[in-house]
Amino acid sequence: MNTQGTWIVSWFDLVGLPKDLPHWVYTLVSLVCVYLFVVIPSAVLMSYLDRKLTADLQARIGPNRAGYAGVLQSIADFLKLLQKEPQFKWGLRENLWLVSHTMALYSTLAVLPLGSLALLVDTEMSAFLPFWATLVLALGTMLLGLTQASVPGWFGGIRVAAQTLAGSFPALIALVCAGVRAGSFKWSSLVHSQSFALWGWAAISNPFQTVAFFVFIISGLVILAIPPLDGGLSQSDIHGGVSSYLHGRRLSLFQMGRLYGFFFWCLITVVLFLGGWNLPESLVSHLREGESWIMLSFLELTCLLIKTFFLMLVVTWVARVNTRVRVDQITDFSWKVLSPFSLVALMGASLWAGWRAL
Amino acid sequence: MSQNYLRTDLTTWEIGPYHGALPVPMRLKLQLDGEVIAHAEVETGFLHRGLEKACELHPWKSLVSYADHLDPEGAVFGEIVLTNAVEEIFGIPVPERAQCIRVILCELTRISSHLAYIVRMAKMAGSETIIHYVLRDRERVLDLFELLTGARFSINFLRYGGVRFDVTEGFIERVLELCELIRIRIKEYNDVFTYNHSFIKRSANIAPLSKELIRHCGITGPNARASGVCFDLRKTYYGKAYDRVEFEVPVGVGALGVVGDVHDRFIVRLKEVSQSIEILKQLVETIPSGEYCNLVDNKISRAIRGEAVSRVESSRGLLSCYVLADGKDTPARVQFTTSSMFNVKLIPYLISGVRIEDLPVVLASLDLSVAEADK
Repeated sequence: MNTQGTWIVSWFDLVGLPKDLPHWVYTLVSLVCVYLFVVIPSAVLMSYLDRKLTADLQARIGPNRAGYAGVLQSIADFLKLLQKEPQFKWGLRENLWLVSHTMALYSTLAVLPLGSLALLVDTEMSAFLPFWATLVLALGTMLLGLTQASVPGWFGGIRVAAQTLAGSFPALIALVCAGVRAGSFKWSSLVHSQSFALWGWAAISNPFQTVAFFVFIISGLVILAIPPLDGGLSQSDIHGGVSSYLHGRRLSLFQMGRLYGFFFWCLITVVLFLGGWNLPESLVSHLREGESWIMLSFLELTCLLIKTFFLMLVVTWVARVNTRVRVDQITDFSWKVLSPFSLVALMGASLWAGWRAL
Repeated sequence: MSQNYLRTDLTTWEIGPYHGALPVPMRLKLQLDGEVIAHAEVETGFLHRGLEKACELHPWKSLVSYADHLDPEGAVFGEIVLTNAVEEIFGIPVPERAQCIRVILCELTRISSHLAYIVRMAKMAGSETIIHYVLRDRERVLDLFELLTGARFSINFLRYGGVRFDVTEGFIERVLELCELIRIRIKEYNDVFTYNHSFIKRSANIAPLSKELIRHCGITGPNARASGVCFDLRKTYYGKAYDRVEFEVPVGVGALGVVGDVHDRFIVRLKEVSQSIEILKQLVETIPSGEYCNLVDNKISRAIRGEAVSRVESSRGLLSCYVLADGKDTPARVQFTTSSMFNVKLIPYLISGVRIEDLPVVLASLDLSVAEADK
C-alpha cells in the first residue's frame, strides 16, 4: 500500500471500521465524514460568527430569531434557498459548470490537512493541489460567465479569471517560501518544522517568512475573490457578476463553495505559517504514550480550527471596515505589489535557509 | 482617464429603470469599449407624477402638501420655495420667528439629505459599515422633525405667512444636542470612510466636473461648489434669516485628487453638514420671540392677480418656483425648476471615459433626485 493508503487506514483505525474493505470505500467514507463533520459545521459556525460580529461592529443586532440568539440562522437561510424555484432554465453548459465547479471545489477535501492523524493525502506535492482546484474553479466560472450572454456575465467571468491569475503567482511563490523553510511540501513536514509556541511559527521565525505569510493570505483573497477583494463577484455595477443568474439551490451551492474556499485557504495558511495543529510537546508525548489517538486528533483539530476561525474573523473584520476594491486595482496590486514582495521573500527565505544549513 | 487601454469593439449595454448601479430610477444606454464607457444616453421620466399639473387643480391651501412631495428627502425646500412665491404674490408678511423656524427646518433637512447622500455613496462604493453608522445618526434628525411637526417625512408644515405650530418644548435643546452629536460623528465618518485609503482610491481623480461643463449644463449647488464655483443662494440672495448668522461656503480644492472629482463632491457635502451645524447653533440661540404664523393677514385674495418667482438653495442646488395667480381658487400655473433636472443632463458628459465599476459611485456622487427631476 502506498503512503496515501497508509494514512487513510491509520485514520480509519481510530473509529474502528473494518480493514478488509476496498480502498475506494475508505476514501469515499472519509471524504463524506470530513465534509459532514468538519466543513459543514465550520461553515455554519463561521457564517453565524461573521454575521453576529459584523452586526456588533455596525451597531445593529444581527440574527436573533432562528434558535437561541439566532444560532440557527444559517440553516434557516439554507432551507429557504432550497425551496426557491429557479428563475432561468438551465442548459447543458450551466449544468456542466455546476458539476465541474462542485468537483473542483470539493476535490480539495482529499488534501485537507486536519491533523497529524487525519491526513488523507500527504505527498510531496500535497501543498500544490489546492492551486489546481482554484484555477479550475476560476476557469469554470469564467466559462459560465461567457455563456450567460449578458454584460454582467461577461465582465463577471473575465474579472474572476483576471483576479485568479493575478493572485496565483504571488501565492505560489509564497508557498515555495514555506516549502524552502520546511525542506518539503508534505503537510506533515511543513507542520513538523514549526512548533506550538509562537516563536516556533513559520510566520514569526524570520522576516522573509512574515512577508510570505502576508503575501499568501492576501493573494488567497485575490484568487478566491473574498471581501474586500471581491470586486469580480460583488461589484454593484454588474449585480454580482456570474452569481447574478444563480438562484435558490444553485446560489446556495455557490455561496457554500465560496465560504468553503475561504475556510480552506485560511486553513492552509495556518498549516503553512501559523504553527498548524502543533500542540505542546509534553502533551503530545503524553497522549502518544497513553495511545489516546482520538483525544490527540481531537485536540489537534481543535487547535487548528481555532486558529483558522480567528484568521477568518480578522480578514472579515478588515473587509467590513473597508470599501470594496475595484478589480483593476486588485490585479494591479497583485502584480505590482504582492508579486515583487513574494519574490523578495523567496530570495530572502532561500538565503536564510542556506545560511542556517551551513 | 488613461487613454492607453486596449481598444475593442463597442458593446451596447442598457440598464434601468431599476438596477443596482443606479441610485434612482432612470434608463442608461451605454456603449462600452471594454470596461470603459465610450458613450452614454440617459432617459428619465419614470417617476413623473404630474406634480405641477396637480398643483393647478387644487386650491391654494392644498398646494403645500404637493410641493412637499417634490423631493421626498428635502420636503421642506419644496414647501418653502412655494410659500415664498405665493406670499410674494399676495403680499403676506411672514413674522421673523416663523422665518427663523423655517430656516432651522431647512438646515436640519440639509443635514438629513447629506447624511442620506453619504449612505448612497457608501452603498455604491461597497462599504457597508459606515451605512449603519450614518443611518443611526440620521434617525436622530428625523426624530427632531417628528418632535416639531409630527411626521418624519412629508412634514407638510409650512403655511402661507409662517409655519403650522410654534417650536415644541425641548426642541431647542435637542437641536443643540444633535449639533454636538453630528460634530463628533463627522470625525468618525472621516476616520472610517472619507479618508480611508480604499475609498480615496475609488473616488479621487474620478469623473472631475469642469467649470465649462457646469456653465454648459447649468449645474448649481454642492456639485458646482465642489468644482470651485462659489455660488450659494444663502449668501447671495435669500437673506431672510441667513443674514443673522455667520457661516462659510465650502468649495472643492482637489485636496486628494483633481478639483471637482467624486471625492471633492463628497467632502464638500460633509463640510456643508458642519456649516449647517454652525448655522443651527447660532439660530436656535437667537431665535426671536413673536408669532409663529401670521394668522391675521394670511388670506388668499381672489382680487389679486400676479406672478412671482422664488428661489432657495436646497440641499441639491438651486430650486426655484414660478407661480401665476389669475384670480381663481387654484393657481393658473406652478412650475418648479430643480437642480436635479440639470444634473441628469450632465450624466452623459460625466460618465464618458469612466470604467463601469465606477459608474455607481459617479452617479451617486451627483446626489440625483429623480423625483425632483421628473416631477
